Amino acid sequence: MRQLKRRNFLILGSLLGISPYLSAKAVSRYEKEFKEVENTIKSVQEHMFPPSSKLPSAQSTSVTKFLFETMMHKSFDKDIKAFVLEGAKELELREKGRFVSMQKKEKEHALREYEKTSYGSSWLSRIMTLTMEGMFSDPIYGSNIKEAGWKSVDAYGGYPRAKIKYMGL
Amino acid sequence: MYDVVIIGSGASGGAVAYTLCKAGYKVAVLEKGRLVKREEFTKDELAYCRRDLVTPNLFDEYHTIEEKVEGKWVATPTHESGWSFWNGNIVGGSSNLMSGMLHRLHPDDFRLKSKYGEIKGANVVDWPISYDELEPYYALAEELVGISGYYEKHKYEPKRSTPNFTQPPTKENAVVKLLDKSCKALGIAPLVTPRAVLSQSKPGRDACYYSNFCGSYGCSSGAKSSSREALLKPALATGNLTLLTNSHVKYLHSDSKDKVSYAVVVDTLTGKEKRIEGKMFVVAAQAHESARLLLNSANKHHPDGLANSSGELGKNLLFSGGGSGQGELHKDSLKEIKFEELMTTGLFVNRSVLDWYFVDHWWDGKFKGGSVEFMFEHQNIITRTRKNNHKEGKLVWGTELGERVVKRMTEQKSIRFEIFNDWLPNDDCFVSLDPTHKDKYGMPVGKLRVEGHPQDVKVGKYIAEKCEGILEEMGAKNIYSGISSAPAQNLVAGGCRFGDDPKTSVLNKYCQAHDVSNLFVADASFMPTGGSVAYTWTIYANAFRVADYIVQTLQNS
Repeated sequence: MRQLKRRNFLILGSLLGISPYLSAKAVSRYEKEFKEVENTIKSVQEHMFPPSSKLPSAQSTSVTKFLFETMMHKSFDKDIKAFVLEGAKELELREKGRFVSMQKKEKEHALREYEKTSYGSSWLSRIMTLTMEGMFSDPIYGSNIKEAGWKSVDAYGGYPRAKIKYMGL
Repeated sequence: MYDVVIIGSGASGGAVAYTLCKAGYKVAVLEKGRLVKREEFTKDELAYCRRDLVTPNLFDEYHTIEEKVEGKWVATPTHESGWSFWNGNIVGGSSNLMSGMLHRLHPDDFRLKSKYGEIKGANVVDWPISYDELEPYYALAEELVGISGYYEKHKYEPKRSTPNFTQPPTKENAVVKLLDKSCKALGIAPLVTPRAVLSQSKPGRDACYYSNFCGSYGCSSGAKSSSREALLKPALATGNLTLLTNSHVKYLHSDSKDKVSYAVVVDTLTGKEKRIEGKMFVVAAQAHESARLLLNSANKHHPDGLANSSGELGKNLLFSGGGSGQGELHKDSLKEIKFEELMTTGLFVNRSVLDWYFVDHWWDGKFKGGSVEFMFEHQNIITRTRKNNHKEGKLVWGTELGERVVKRMTEQKSIRFEIFNDWLPNDDCFVSLDPTHKDKYGMPVGKLRVEGHPQDVKVGKYIAEKCEGILEEMGAKNIYSGISSAPAQNLVAGGCRFGDDPKTSVLNKYCQAHDVSNLFVADASFMPTGGSVAYTWTIYANAFRVADYIVQTLQNS
């Protein structure tokens, strides 16, 4: 197949099986579940975008908040929304709940091991994409603070700039 | 009752609406999307390019795509693949979002079978009209809609009835010096790209302000020659146009065999249904959706789909053959121009190559080739920063990621080419109704079988090799190209062939249904072969031609 069958791919790779979020409508339920893995996702983002990088650091750019908010927008793909949560749970499951408290070297090892699975590789790539979406999107979305992301790569969004998030939808 | 009801507000719907409204007829345009006004078109990459905000959510509305897997046809819903076949479902359609690199077809594109004969496995036929019949409408579209450019003689540039474009080309990046020199060194003749973007202001529309974010975005000066700016606005000014947004047509109802009576329309916000009556109906919903609408409009008189006595409805769907490639111009090895000039943002590359539109070579053989457009890599920042972030099969992150991204963004600029060659019509490329999947309004979704002909890839690869040679001559690094038989979903035509014989075509030469006298299809559906350029100029031109015929018909009645 030319195109990846996304839904099957996302589900079958997980030890946790079929996501309850594929049909879940309750926003509050998702939010509650997200809170449980928020620190894991945040730790991964901080590992990928450390303060020593030429790019803004995850710590300085509220990228976890962006990641949550963008997934909660109605335009966001519901399969991917579920996948982001499950992938984080999977990582904690593999690392017996220790990932957040690991040292940098241990984290690197854990993530590289996770990356060896196609599921983990896909999840890490997704977290990176979502982080960079925040960092390099219009400052209105809250992560490209004072255009720090754009300044770091000397590339700037065009005019007119967004006056409202997601075209107000 | 309206004189004419038009379904779809894109390039063809706009051209028909404009002509009829100017002629004094009462017209309704039914657009399933909403109106996005000029001032709402910002350069918000997240909103326009990374979320489905100007196309339907694929979980609500989708297609199924049939591909051959281990010898069997397998249909996958696009909400599973994420492979959307929607293109700009807002007032003005995808013409709002086009890059606008346009060409006229060549006269021989109208007589491909006569010129090249049968091609095994391809359903090639001649058109029932010639280039000469369409030429005045190409000229009209150029002036009225607004296409800027500069005419240079070339063996494959079709003849014109006017000496040159009334709008000069848009401003160009200095890279054209390097590109032109490199082409000439290889004996290739680069041409200035005609572009559906105003280089000079027209009444009600300001000239291009070189935002650096053109294709995939709406235009906030009115320079881009979209149906909304160029045609629907003046049509509305006549007072004869009723623009009904959020109005999705489920099907066309016919009380008699020969006529459509009304469109059954659902308000996409309230879900309420209503009937819109008209004397004439013009379907302009983009090729695959136009065929689907007529298939969904089957009735007792037309059991296999409206206007489908030939059995040709939905058949011979076309995309565009070819593909793309690119290379990097590095700061430390740049020739001919200064790096600062190269990095100047907003200006266009504006170069096309038609040298291989037809190939007749002692070694390579004689075959229909294609056209090439040169441009910079799309300037979207999120997209660019996400590229080249793999090393030895692994993701790069941490400080190394920062180094790579900053280097890629500040020490090189990627130049790109896109190849357009014929997508040969064939038996394995068509749209039908999916037997099980329905949209949220309860209507069967379009099932698209999208196989290309092997010749398409062969031609694309032939041209890609030439283009890689140009990039090499320019001194570009890391050159690559990708030619495949995967369809470009934004370049779609065919499915309602026009022709003189009602047994082998859906429409007559005026794009009027053979079977239903008050039904026209004005979008790219009519094309029996697609030519080797983007379709939009031909869509505009043909829709103006069809509209003239509808005016004559209304006058005579």
